[in-house]
Amino acid sequence: MNIWNPVRITWLHRANPVVKLGLIIGLFFMTVLTHNLDFVMYQAFVFTVCLLVLSGVKPWKMLLFLIPFLLAFISSSSSMMLFGKGDTIWWEWGLFRVSEESFYRGLHLGFKGIAFASEGLLLVTTTSSVDLFYSLMQKLRLAPKYAYSFMASIRLLPMVWEEYVIRRQALKVRGVLPIRGIRGIVSRAGLYVVPLLAQSIRRAHRVAAAMEAKQFDGDGAKSRTYYYPFRYSRYDLLVIGLLAAAACCAYIAAGYFPWFGIGDVRFD
Amino acid sequence: MNGLGTSMQEKLGVQPRKGLRLSDILVTVLVSLVLGVIYHFWGSVYNLLKPLFFEADELLYGMWFAAATLAYLLIRKPGVAIIAEVAAAHVEVLFGSGWGLTLLLYGVIQGLGAELVFAAFRYRSTSAWTLAFAGAGSAVGSMIMDFYYSYTDDLQAWMFFAKYGMRIFSGAIIAGLLMLLLAKALDRTGVTSLLRPASRKDYEALEDPRHV
Repeated sequence: MNIWNPVRITWLHRANPVVKLGLIIGLFFMTVLTHNLDFVMYQAFVFTVCLLVLSGVKPWKMLLFLIPFLLAFISSSSSMMLFGKGDTIWWEWGLFRVSEESFYRGLHLGFKGIAFASEGLLLVTTTSSVDLFYSLMQKLRLAPKYAYSFMASIRLLPMVWEEYVIRRQALKVRGVLPIRGIRGIVSRAGLYVVPLLAQSIRRAHRVAAAMEAKQFDGDGAKSRTYYYPFRYSRYDLLVIGLLAAAACCAYIAAGYFPWFGIGDVRFD
Repeated sequence: MNGLGTSMQEKLGVQPRKGLRLSDILVTVLVSLVLGVIYHFWGSVYNLLKPLFFEADELLYGMWFAAATLAYLLIRKPGVAIIAEVAAAHVEVLFGSGWGLTLLLYGVIQGLGAELVFAAFRYRSTSAWTLAFAGAGSAVGSMIMDFYYSYTDDLQAWMFFAKYGMRIFSGAIIAGLLMLLLAKALDRTGVTSLLRPASRKDYEALEDPRHV
């Protein structure tokens, strides 16, 4: 299931998924714990650039995927701007109260959201779920029963969609007319949700019985062999170096070229 | 019949296995992925309520905790609530959403919120109250995540209480009570009997002379 369809294979594709996961979670925590507006703004900028370069996806396509981030920027920052705590009031109307502090905190949240999203996409665009679960099993000793359950379920999901289509056709053939309004939505949900869930439980159970018979749940994760072996390589070091350098760039840029020059955005 | 003191269960040497088996996990994950797809489209329903009143959308937030409680109602073992929420969040990763990884972290902590409630009842209770508490527990989990993620503790006090009051209420209603109804409906279809280990009653039925 690869919706990204990269045109280039970059270092990030070649790095071990576990290393990437660890690295990205590290970057996440860095961004979560950043309370300085300038630093977050540069992070958002630097990692978006990294994403455009390292994802290997065509830049215009990537930019298309970035459009929702702008909407998220507006929605996540507006709530804080209008309702946040603050002392220096700029504008007040009824329940809305925009203060200097809440305004900057809102901006901070917007940039933070973009930084999170581009960090997350760095991993998501370059790693398939199968690769991630295989290397989690091999490098972090994730029990095979979890990894194979996830991988099997991902393959079963399209079948659930097929069943949805069949159900819809069946209801049409039987002449079930949709009811309008709220009651209609509720009754329609009942017509679909229960049979689809029941059928997916049945199917999952059958597949699981077959998988157990073939020892996919075997506990011997140590002595197991794998169809796709995953190793560490020099690309791991390259990627770690590259993203650490990007983070350092953002930090230094925030120190030397601050745009806003305010400290901590949190209240008191 | 039981003259020698060996029931069918002992003869077969069957013990109900503790811990999660592959089939438990697979059912949990698949059901959660299906719910994850619903989560994905729930976002647009959620946006419909937005213009109604600021933060009124919080009333629908509970849907995003549904996987934890539904999975628990089906499997009733430790750990399924967390797995379920992570699996449901994983759908966003599959769909290539930029928020995928953030949502995975939310999934872990929301699942943990529900899991702690179930653990407090020692994974035995499936009463409406327990489930409502579990839904609320997930809401509290997501609230804690929000503090770090979006500084919601810096909202004005009335806004803060309105927002999270609605979210907790919605967690209790949608993730708790609505999922209880859904699980009952699933029980009536008979599929859930696949998931329960054979009970003493089933083995006694095997030995019932009337069936010989």
